[in-house]
Amino acid sequence: MNKVIIINLNGNAYQLEEDAFDALRAYLDTARARLEGNPDRDEIIADIEQAIADKFRAFLGASKTVVLAAEVNSVIAEMGPVEAAGEAGAAQGAASAPAGGAKEAPKGGPQGAPRRLYRIHDGAMLAGVCNGLSTYLDIDVSLIRIIFFAMSCVWGFGVVVYLIMAVIIPTATTPDERAAAFGTPSTTQDFIKRARDGYYEGMRAFRDKSEYRAWKRKFRQEMRGWRQSFKMEMQRNAHQWAHNWHRHWAQHPPPVFLGGWLLAPVFALASLVVTLAVFYAIYSILVHGAVFGIAVPASVPSWAAIIILILLVQLVIWPLKAMRHSLTYGYGPPYCHPFVHFWNTVASLAVFVILVWLFIHHPSQAHDAIHNLARETRAAFDSFRDWLNTL
Amino acid sequence: MSSINEKFTPIRKGLLEFLVLKIIASDKVYAADILKELGATEFATQEGTLYPLLSKMRREELVDYEWKESEAGPPRKYYELTAKGRDQLRETSDYWQKIILTVKNLGQRQGQ
Repeated sequence: MNKVIIINLNGNAYQLEEDAFDALRAYLDTARARLEGNPDRDEIIADIEQAIADKFRAFLGASKTVVLAAEVNSVIAEMGPVEAAGEAGAAQGAASAPAGGAKEAPKGGPQGAPRRLYRIHDGAMLAGVCNGLSTYLDIDVSLIRIIFFAMSCVWGFGVVVYLIMAVIIPTATTPDERAAAFGTPSTTQDFIKRARDGYYEGMRAFRDKSEYRAWKRKFRQEMRGWRQSFKMEMQRNAHQWAHNWHRHWAQHPPPVFLGGWLLAPVFALASLVVTLAVFYAIYSILVHGAVFGIAVPASVPSWAAIIILILLVQLVIWPLKAMRHSLTYGYGPPYCHPFVHFWNTVASLAVFVILVWLFIHHPSQAHDAIHNLARETRAAFDSFRDWLNTL
Repeated sequence: MSSINEKFTPIRKGLLEFLVLKIIASDKVYAADILKELGATEFATQEGTLYPLLSKMRREELVDYEWKESEAGPPRKYYELTAKGRDQLRETSDYWQKIILTVKNLGQRQGQ
């Protein structure tokens, strides 16, 4: 006589002898351990449990309802040891890298697997934005930090971009997210699963329903209060802004140049078109290695072609720029008339909106371009260092 | 014979993905069909190896699956190739043809 244990294999109930249960559990535990760090681990285990269940069914009939130890052992032998396939090993390395994230990751990471942008706290200086970008674009983290620092010094918006990214980009905290940051592919299903896990995790924090309801009520109240104060703040700002506008308009006469009323929008439109054309040209150099049908010679690296292109464009639009400058600032003390300013702002906003639209509607091209840009930046940086060494 | 078998273990392992692509290309199949088809050859494989491989191929977007009801038992995953998978199969087949030619021609003296 043997004790029988009822188990659940991927939703199917089976009765196993005690020894059979121990053997099966050992096999599945080993499989689970071998697949550590594999983003599809649960799915593979479910498939394996299903396959085992199918094999068990063959042993069972109307007069035989228990799977014996010998039968389980033969099924396990038939299944064979679970081996992580090729790349899973690399993912495992990335996921279990204890600290220092970006630096200890396998160089280049598993190829062909889309990476996800996450903030990575290991080895980060502030919020992990540069660290995450460095992993995502496979560029040295110091270089990214230098670029951000330069952007902050020269234009000031590096700080703004950093803050926005710090708020928007999620942090890689779980091994799964860490693996995704280093290029283990993920699917929408994984994403939904992660979101659901997070939700259940959050729900578990409330011991009972009344506590949860109280929390929800408080959250709503806070949201309402926050919305109200935000609205008031906006109204106040709008008032202030209108006031400033009126004062400014009164103090400064309209453009000195008489045709300025007409020329300001024309110049803004021209700069919009030129900016977009330059963006397109850079994109085609990066992705197709050609500008408007003219192939870049093989001897010229893409990054050099981009620099030459920007210099050429500056040379061509220089007279236009000079004209716009005289229109904007006139002959008097340097100030920018709000009317001209308005059109310039419209043009820059349009460029921004068009770029965002392109990113949303052509994500794969945008992805290619950014990755090639990252590669070219790296190449340019390397050439620069080589050149320094030869001095 | 067994020593040759051992020597070729890494090569068989490396070729497995190619063969799985070939099998899936011929028809929509589920995992047990793949195992059965491989089982009759030198490339006989077990579930423990095939499932992780299939999941890796799905992550690399070479294959995709859909759930289908079966007459007996629970629904099964039927695998099929994606466009990327078909490209990969074509490339691998070409490369394999080249290898076969190389193996055949290497070491044969000129003019014979």
